[in-house]
Amino acid sequence: MYVEMRRINKTFDGFQASKDVNFGVYKGQLAALLGPSGSGKTTILRMIAGLDRPDSGDILINGNRVNDIPGSKRGIGFVFQNYALFRYMTVADNIAFGLEVQKKSKKEIKDRVEELLELVSMQDLGKRYPNQLSGGQRQRVAFARALAPDPQLLLLDEPFAAIDAKVRRELRTWLKQMIGRVGVTSIFVTHDQEEAVEVADTIIITNQGRIEQIGTPEEVCRYPQTEFVKDFVDAERFEALMAIKKNGNNRCQNSPFCGTIN
Amino acid sequence: MKDQIEHSYEQDIVGDDIYSIRKVIEPHRDDVDHVMKYVLIGIAAVFLSVMLIMPLAVVILNALRDGWQAYREAVLDEYTVKALQLTLLATVCAVAVNTAFGLFASYLLSKFYFRGRQVLASLIDIPFSISPVIAGLVFILTFGKIGWMGDFLKAHNIKIVFAVPGVILVTIFVTFPFVFRELFPVMNAQGKDEEEAAALMGAGGLMIFRRITFPHIKWALVYGVVLCTARAMGEFGAVSVISGHLRGKTNTLPLHVEILYNEFNTTAAFAVSSILVIMAVIILIIRSFIERKRKI
Amino acid sequence: MRQKKVNLCSKILVVLIVGFMITLTGCGGNERVASGGGDGNAELVELLNVSYDPTREFYATYNKMFSEYWKEKSGQGISVTQSHGGSGSQARSVIEGNEADVVTLALAHDVTAIEEAGLIERGWIGEFDSNSAPYTSTIVFLVHKGNEKNIQDWNDLIKDGVEVITPNPKTSGGACWNFLAAWAYQQKQDGNDEDVTKKFMKKLYQNVLVLDSGARGATNTFVENGQGDVLIAWENEAYLAMKEYPDQYEIVTPSVSILAQPSVAVVDSNVDDHGTREAAEAYLEYLYSDEAQRLAGDNYYRPVKEAILKEYSGQFDLDMNLVTIDDFGGWDEAYRVYFEDGAIFDQIYEE
Repeated sequence: MYVEMRRINKTFDGFQASKDVNFGVYKGQLAALLGPSGSGKTTILRMIAGLDRPDSGDILINGNRVNDIPGSKRGIGFVFQNYALFRYMTVADNIAFGLEVQKKSKKEIKDRVEELLELVSMQDLGKRYPNQLSGGQRQRVAFARALAPDPQLLLLDEPFAAIDAKVRRELRTWLKQMIGRVGVTSIFVTHDQEEAVEVADTIIITNQGRIEQIGTPEEVCRYPQTEFVKDFVDAERFEALMAIKKNGNNRCQNSPFCGTIN
Repeated sequence: MKDQIEHSYEQDIVGDDIYSIRKVIEPHRDDVDHVMKYVLIGIAAVFLSVMLIMPLAVVILNALRDGWQAYREAVLDEYTVKALQLTLLATVCAVAVNTAFGLFASYLLSKFYFRGRQVLASLIDIPFSISPVIAGLVFILTFGKIGWMGDFLKAHNIKIVFAVPGVILVTIFVTFPFVFRELFPVMNAQGKDEEEAAALMGAGGLMIFRRITFPHIKWALVYGVVLCTARAMGEFGAVSVISGHLRGKTNTLPLHVEILYNEFNTTAAFAVSSILVIMAVIILIIRSFIERKRKI
Repeated sequence: MRQKKVNLCSKILVVLIVGFMITLTGCGGNERVASGGGDGNAELVELLNVSYDPTREFYATYNKMFSEYWKEKSGQGISVTQSHGGSGSQARSVIEGNEADVVTLALAHDVTAIEEAGLIERGWIGEFDSNSAPYTSTIVFLVHKGNEKNIQDWNDLIKDGVEVITPNPKTSGGACWNFLAAWAYQQKQDGNDEDVTKKFMKKLYQNVLVLDSGARGATNTFVENGQGDVLIAWENEAYLAMKEYPDQYEIVTPSVSILAQPSVAVVDSNVDDHGTREAAEAYLEYLYSDEAQRLAGDNYYRPVKEAILKEYSGQFDLDMNLVTIDDFGGWDEAYRVYFEDGAIFDQIYEE
């Protein structure tokens, strides 16, 4: 287990956002926290990142309890829902920021930024400012920025929510490939079943602050363990997706769910 | 039509709403709108000339009524210079204190959530709604001889009311919300994502402020400072109550203008007024420059 | 490029912080000056004279005269700061902590108020000659040149269509004198019938167009803003207006008026704190010197010294029938009967 949550509870102003949360993610895995809005998935992500503190329970990263370690020392890269790019810095400066904080040498920073720009195919856009980029480009910058200090764990909060429906699928595939290439353990939050199924190795289903079920996409969709999961997960849609995946057909004209997604 | 709105908004993500609105309105202009436009412009022009341009012209003309020499004498008069110095001192103090305070308060209220946040935000606005005269009286009743702290201050030989510190204090009081009011919405709109992102990368508080927060609020801050300066220089009511009108000691420029006027010294009164008008015009120019900067 | 930006930001920050520090120390510095103003410094004595409105011109000159005199006499330099406003509100400011060394107010009642606050010792009125009133004045009318409405005496002021300017007795010392002068006139006409007099006063105040808070404000309303037909004014104020606006106004002396005695006093508790008693007492004493008396005359105050007053007989109407405050039982009595909340002035004005 690379990341482990043990008996986590968290309350905001009388609202219990996490109730006895337990789960683990293996090293190198890509896990999705899937659930309806308000189900407590973002809270879990923020607690792993150290942005919020659990009221009780332990958070373990690589076997060490990190509850009392600040987020910046947990070896984490975080991609915010709206990317939270530094709007008064260029793309290159955004990516360089984390390295500058670590007081890396100028040359090292320059090389790393170039490397990352190349990784996200934005070599020519380093001098642009965030507001001069499209939604997809911003996501890629946010991704590169989070990866710059070479984190062991990548957390992504609704990484596709701010993106045009048309290019979303394309980006999903891209992100999955990237994460595979970098080989970083990743957890992302989504409310979209299709997204989770298509991208994640493991799906953690949350509801009202609880974990309902953990498993591969197939397990979760074909063998729901609770009433909630059964209702929430659309098995037919899953089968259709699997069919597409198998055929390698991304255009999906045969699927009745084309266009109804989102 | 709908497409157009969406289109223009999408283009102006930076937030230049005026242009996008104009784009929407323009295709709909017809003759009625045209007439309406000029009627409105006419009304505005008449209103502005009567309310603004004419009085300002009167000030300048009267100031120079007795010639350049008289103007120079009035402006360089010992008491005028002292009043100008005091006005500048009070303004600088007010701006410094309120800038520091405005920064802290808006940072606190926009980046942290706690009980009483709303109450605090409304409290800061109080000087907007209180008449400056009342503000002056409140300070007299607090720090004056028969006030709450009168005995304590006397025992420690500290003079506040009818002295320079009092003038500075009330100036700070009446200009209290200006910087905060400009900063708060900007900081609030920025949210705390960028700061959190930077903090997660290990940046310290000062670095976050310098690299993330400050560039964002820079123009709002300067704008608030400019408004604060303008108000501080022009304050009359509160200062009038607390100053005691000690000539050459606690008279600010606006008070000095009144005194000169009361001494049948009309030309000098207008000459000194013209200093205030000139400073106001300079501030106005800086202000419009900043407003343009902020849009970019 | 980016490096430059960072530098700019940090520079701005540094400037802000430094500016803040400087202002703090600056403010602190001033505080010290303000509080340490009167340590009995042998080099320069500072006096604060809190006075009423129309004395501005007189004291501006007198302060120079006195500082020369004092330098010669004691070797000390002296610097007098002036403060002017409505007599009542000036007294109030002294009570609230305006640290006047001397007060030179419009009427004894305002000085008494300071006495009651414990800042001036009892018996101050006997401390200097002539009830501590080094100059006197009276109440006259100021009308536009030509006197179109033919205003000759108090009873002309109650005619329909005559617009009167006088300040508010609640805040202005001069206004109290105005009120009492009018009252005295009508009492004489009707053999002290109070009801008739009240009716007369009511009509008079119905004709008041603007009720300013101070004498100087009223004068400005009349001469600079051109409001009203007649200004009930201090004699000195009326002359000053004539001087500032020659050929536009004339003075009418009513048949009956009042001898106004503006009072001066040393503010004992403040001079003891400042260590300025000697200079403060000399400052007021010197008002009775021949030079100062003449200066008062030049500024249209009636010198209290008979011999000097005679020199100004061409300027003042010395045959006016003047009642004094003693005819009203002294200021405390007069204030209680006429001007306190709910007293005769309120009854007349509110009805």
